[in-house]
Amino acid sequence: MVSPFWDRAFRLFAWGCSLVLMGTFLIIIGFLCIKGYTALNLRLIFGDTGFWDAVVLRRQVFDGLFPAMAGTLCLILLSVVLAVPLGLSTGIFLAEYASPRVKWFFSFVFDILAGIPSIVVGLFGFSITLFLHQSFFDRLYPCLLISALSLAFLVLPYMIRTTQMALESLPASLRLTAPSLGATQLQSIVYVLLPAALSTILSGIILSIGRCAEDTAVIMLTGAVATAGIPRSVFSSFEALPFYIYYISSQYADHSELINGYGACLVLIFICMNLFVLSHFLKKRLSQKLLFRH
Amino acid sequence: MKFEKNKRGVVWAGILGLALVFCMTGLCLAGELDVFTGEKQVLRISGGTAHIPVMKAAAQKIIGFNPDIQIIIAGGGSGAGIKQVGEGLVDIGNSGRQATDAEVAKYGLKMVKWAIDGVAAVTHPQNPVKSLSSMQLQDIFSGKITSWKDVGGKEAPINVYTRDAASGTRSVFWEKALKKADITEKANVVVSNGAMKTALSNDPYSIGYVSVGFIDQGVAALVLDGVTPSMASVKSGEYTVARGLFSNTKGEAQGLAKKFMEYLLGPDGRALVLDKGFIPVN
Amino acid sequence: MGMKDFFLKSLFLGACLLSAGIALGILGFMVVLAYPLFAQGLFWDMLITPWSPGQGLFGVGPMITGTLCIASLAVGVSVPISFGVACFVGILHPGGKGRILKFVVEAMTSVPTVIYGFVGIFLMVPLVRELFSGGSGMCILSAGMMLGLLISPTMILFFAQSFTLVPQNHLDAADALGANTVQKFFYIVLPCAWKSMVTGLVLSFGRAMGDTLIALMIGGNAAAFPESVLDPARTLTAHIALIIAADFDSIEFKTLFVCGISLYAMTGIGVVLARGLGQRGRA
Repeated sequence: MVSPFWDRAFRLFAWGCSLVLMGTFLIIIGFLCIKGYTALNLRLIFGDTGFWDAVVLRRQVFDGLFPAMAGTLCLILLSVVLAVPLGLSTGIFLAEYASPRVKWFFSFVFDILAGIPSIVVGLFGFSITLFLHQSFFDRLYPCLLISALSLAFLVLPYMIRTTQMALESLPASLRLTAPSLGATQLQSIVYVLLPAALSTILSGIILSIGRCAEDTAVIMLTGAVATAGIPRSVFSSFEALPFYIYYISSQYADHSELINGYGACLVLIFICMNLFVLSHFLKKRLSQKLLFRH
Repeated sequence: MKFEKNKRGVVWAGILGLALVFCMTGLCLAGELDVFTGEKQVLRISGGTAHIPVMKAAAQKIIGFNPDIQIIIAGGGSGAGIKQVGEGLVDIGNSGRQATDAEVAKYGLKMVKWAIDGVAAVTHPQNPVKSLSSMQLQDIFSGKITSWKDVGGKEAPINVYTRDAASGTRSVFWEKALKKADITEKANVVVSNGAMKTALSNDPYSIGYVSVGFIDQGVAALVLDGVTPSMASVKSGEYTVARGLFSNTKGEAQGLAKKFMEYLLGPDGRALVLDKGFIPVN
Repeated sequence: MGMKDFFLKSLFLGACLLSAGIALGILGFMVVLAYPLFAQGLFWDMLITPWSPGQGLFGVGPMITGTLCIASLAVGVSVPISFGVACFVGILHPGGKGRILKFVVEAMTSVPTVIYGFVGIFLMVPLVRELFSGGSGMCILSAGMMLGLLISPTMILFFAQSFTLVPQNHLDAADALGANTVQKFFYIVLPCAWKSMVTGLVLSFGRAMGDTLIALMIGGNAAAFPESVLDPARTLTAHIALIIAADFDSIEFKTLFVCGISLYAMTGIGVVLARGLGQRGRA
């Protein structure tokens, strides 16, 4: 029998923990806002260069976040282009074509891939670059391509898991519809199942984008530097927003750079939160639409 | 016919003359930056963190003149700079110490010294302790003295900060100020001069070492054996914990790297070096 | 039609094999690069000896200790809080209040690690330094607490999900017997869910071990065996980030692969444990 005392204590404990968690989170956000709000203006992003000059790439931006934001954007685009097809295909295979034993084995391997620390993936990317530089490609340095590849390895398990889960959680009735009309398995996947699972897969892609935007450990080792300007090609070094924050935190030259660091934190949180909200509502709204149909 | 030929000649002479005038004006306005006209390449620089402010200032000037050039600057420490330029990963590798004979032989390095810099022991500005003897410094860094009270300060534990193994600043400080004494394993490790300055200015009970060019109101330089570290005392040789700032290239510098080095050694470059707190050399 | 089907099926299979190859290739590559150490029989010693390059000692023992200490502290801090919040969200207030809190917790999972590290340096480190007047504030305690905050949202969501694994008829039976919410939780939900919760704990421990930035920015990075929670420590992940700039052919660089293999092994063991628990729970 749970006595009223323990009942009360338990509820108090739950409330207390929630307040502690919320309080800490609000303190963190509040601290950043208070220290960083003075930096939130166009000068934070473009430094001394004018808005149009910077955006049309006529003049390079120093002391601003623009190169870092451009670098992060290029990185995200490239990683997603590399990771999504591979993850999608693997997920489709696991959900639709694999026998239970095969499925068990591969999901074990992908669980391990998901558990690998990001810096180990970065170390792998760096070592591959070194190996290739010494053996074959004399002009290969740590660059945008290597970073994007390493990030793709990092988000691959998320993509695989999301696709697999999305396809497996489709109602059985859906799976019977297309074959009963004479479609092959492939046609069933492409024309019926994938569109139905699209919302979940899309929200998985957006979460992967968020992961690419925020990761620092991988890019630190594979091509992000403190000063590089806008990336010229996939073979150039680049700047990135989370790396900029890390760099500023340990080596700011004066107070204004520190304030820029706070501003950069706010910008990064803003971007990540937007991606999260987008993915959340995408999943919710489209799944509601699905519920209505069935 | 003859008249037309003459007229054509006059027109060409006029065009040539105008072009010459433009060139001369261009030369006068741009000064040493005009060697960078027409360059479209990428210049990769890495290595010593003390060099970074000068590198960034020079890059800003050059790119401001010719936006087609891309200059990439990374840190990593003197060891990283030497290694990376030797392996061909960067065009210019900076180091805050002279490359050893072994390194020069292995990579065929060409060294160019463009400044002199000191390495000072530093503390938080509010620390009442303002000067130390060599012996005290060695004991603090090796962990024998653990409280500020033992050297005339408050009753507070001493937090030692040191640099990572690739640092040229560290090897110079270890060799010349600590006379090769051990640095305690419990010291906090930071990765660059900037990081050291940040850590020290945030910790009132800290002690560390940093390049003299980096000293500002955020940290206080300690007087060592009666000598105050400053640009003047480093230049005169009175403050002995000093080192050169080198830029190394694999073999003779070529192309954009060569132009960059020449710019650094020219009057514009020397002004930048002076502005950032180092002493330019020829 | 048949050709196209077959072609695409093999394409999907190829993608799957490629992905699996990457996972195993990462381990293989590191083993190959650390091979000289295996050949010289130094590998196992390295896991316990201290790190002192000046004296020729290149062991990663202190780093392994650092990783285990900081990760354990993080999980220790995170588990009670996550449990409390998960109870709030899943059991006590599954309606309005809980849904808002759950949304906020989900939003917290998207906050980048570097932000926690940044705030840690400027808010937590001075706090710890003043409260515990020993040390610079960059220590296991600061890093552990910040890391605990980082892994909490994921753990909360995992716990909350475990609470929903209870079969509905059990809960209905308890209702019929007159149990209130708290009684149902302790007598029905917890016994069903505890295995899943332990899985979540193990996976979070793996995540805590694999985090780089918090330990790098606020852990102090001293390469010595830590003796108290107020001592600075270096984790395997921070060690990799610090030494990556060293000479490639040197033994210091090879120790990075030792670190990588250790991390891979430790998180791999975590995954195996979590799966094992999950299997038995299902049966």
